Amino acid sequence: MVSPVFLIAVPLGLVFAIPLFALFWKAGAKYIPPAALAFNLVVSLLLLPRVLENPVIVSIGGWQPPFGINLVAGPAGALFSAIIAFVGLLVSVYALDYIKEGATEKYHMLYLLLLTGATGVVLTGDIFNLFVFFEILCISSYSLVAYLRDKASIESAVKYLIQGAVGSSLLLIGIGLLYGLFGTLNMADIAQNIRSVSPISVFVPMVLIVAGLGVEAAIFPLNAWLPDAHSSAPSSISAILSGIAIEVGLYAVARVIFTIFGAQSFLPFLAFLGILTLLVGEMCAFSQNNLKRMLAYSSIGQIGLILFALAIATSYGVTGGLFQLISHTLSKALLFLTAGYMIYRAGSMEISALEGMGKKMPLTCLAFTIGAFSLVGLPPFIGFPSKFLVVRAALATKETFFIIFIGLALLGTVIEAAYFFRVVQVLYFKADITNPPSKDAPVTALITMFIFVVLIVIVGIYPKLVTDVLNSAASELLNRFDYIRSVLG
Amino acid sequence: MSFLHNYTYYIGAFGLIFIGLYVILTKHNLIKVIIGLGILDTGVNLFLISVGYITEGTAPIFSGPDIDTEHMVDPVPQALVLTAIVIGVAVLALALSLAIRLYQHYGTLNLRKMKGQRW
Repeated sequence: MVSPVFLIAVPLGLVFAIPLFALFWKAGAKYIPPAALAFNLVVSLLLLPRVLENPVIVSIGGWQPPFGINLVAGPAGALFSAIIAFVGLLVSVYALDYIKEGATEKYHMLYLLLLTGATGVVLTGDIFNLFVFFEILCISSYSLVAYLRDKASIESAVKYLIQGAVGSSLLLIGIGLLYGLFGTLNMADIAQNIRSVSPISVFVPMVLIVAGLGVEAAIFPLNAWLPDAHSSAPSSISAILSGIAIEVGLYAVARVIFTIFGAQSFLPFLAFLGILTLLVGEMCAFSQNNLKRMLAYSSIGQIGLILFALAIATSYGVTGGLFQLISHTLSKALLFLTAGYMIYRAGSMEISALEGMGKKMPLTCLAFTIGAFSLVGLPPFIGFPSKFLVVRAALATKETFFIIFIGLALLGTVIEAAYFFRVVQVLYFKADITNPPSKDAPVTALITMFIFVVLIVIVGIYPKLVTDVLNSAASELLNRFDYIRSVLG
Repeated sequence: MSFLHNYTYYIGAFGLIFIGLYVILTKHNLIKVIIGLGILDTGVNLFLISVGYITEGTAPIFSGPDIDTEHMVDPVPQALVLTAIVIGVAVLALALSLAIRLYQHYGTLNLRKMKGQRW
């Protein structure tokens, strides 16, 4: 009998076992995160077929909702926890060799804590519990950004912390207002009663909550921290921040907007913000000379596209948004992981320093190229079916508003293609000036990259593998009455 | 004046919240910004407490059968505030330790002089 409680309890217990374990066997502490995440992956995958039929509701401590805190593992929650565990597992295997300096056991502790927080956010059914898990995620990511302790990383961590803390306070004020209105913190219970008060008194907490979550989700006016934090963190952390943290923020925004508030009239504004985020991100990425900053800005662009697709709010749109989210998670994690070793070998983050890398590190550069092509949306990689679904969803609405916006999104994709192809050109077609001995990434890193590449290609060729799960996740997000009924009975 | 009297706590809470936001947005010294975060946190906590506050209320403990439940305070916001205080302490501690590191790197706490990271 697998229960969603294990997905949170086991990693959380193991996080605090790491320092104790390190007392006895210091070198062994780094194997705990992969073990915990492998466990999570197995549990999520066992859970997935069951939740596709019926969401699994766990009342903690035997207190029935709406009185106690409950976990809701619907298709969306189980899918997200599986993705978090999968990407987390691969990145933690990569980090076995990549993280050598500093207090490594603290790194592994905070890393596992971050992923536990992320899993908690996607599984919880209580809005204050969502805030707590969100803070776990945020605080561990602030300190992980500062892990290298150099000038740039400390400065970006301070920037991230101040913006993140203000965002969390806004979120908490919004939750307090909701509690004052409804006297409950259970998301299903709030959703059930949301129509019983005047729309304007619900609007204020909604804006506060969306703004608070939007800081972490990097929605346009709130994302000034992202390029600094993602580019100064260790590459394995950049992969997690880009691949998991902002996606979890977006999931929380979608859950709040769709399930709790059911705010249809707010969605065009979110679509507009999404397109704005996309264009700003892609244009800034185009003008970067620093590889990791370029990838970070490209994450902003992708987040914009996902937000736009979610804001279409048809079954096609949300499916496309979730698909795009998975494709971004896989491709961007792969890009950051490969960039980690390319930067390590080149000794510089400048794109111009990577000239001729394609001959020195052939496997890593091939993986980078595949990740870049997938992100741009070339077939046969995963980025193609996901972008295709988003475009089809926007056209299927037959509204001029969405059709103009998807045109702008495609313009963003062209810019994206331009800067990614420029990097690929530097890797393969520029003459190599210096000639240090060639050495590829270590085996653990190559294995993780290989698994990402295989997945990107397989899902790209045969998208049917994931679309069924995505369809039911999308209908869970869109159908708030089923959610309310399954939680409150 | 009854408005002021009825809503003292809300006015105080949002006053603190806006003071905190003002300090965060306008001050250049990192320590002052962190103090602003502290004020903001306090304002939010006061707000949460006042959501469940009842004048001359009692603790919600059912120690006997003939207890007046009318004047019991709502315990849920207090539990929320306890959690929020702990989270606030963690964030402030982390912010201060980062401030120490930042001072070691730059020799100043003036945020205007830190221009390592640009758009």
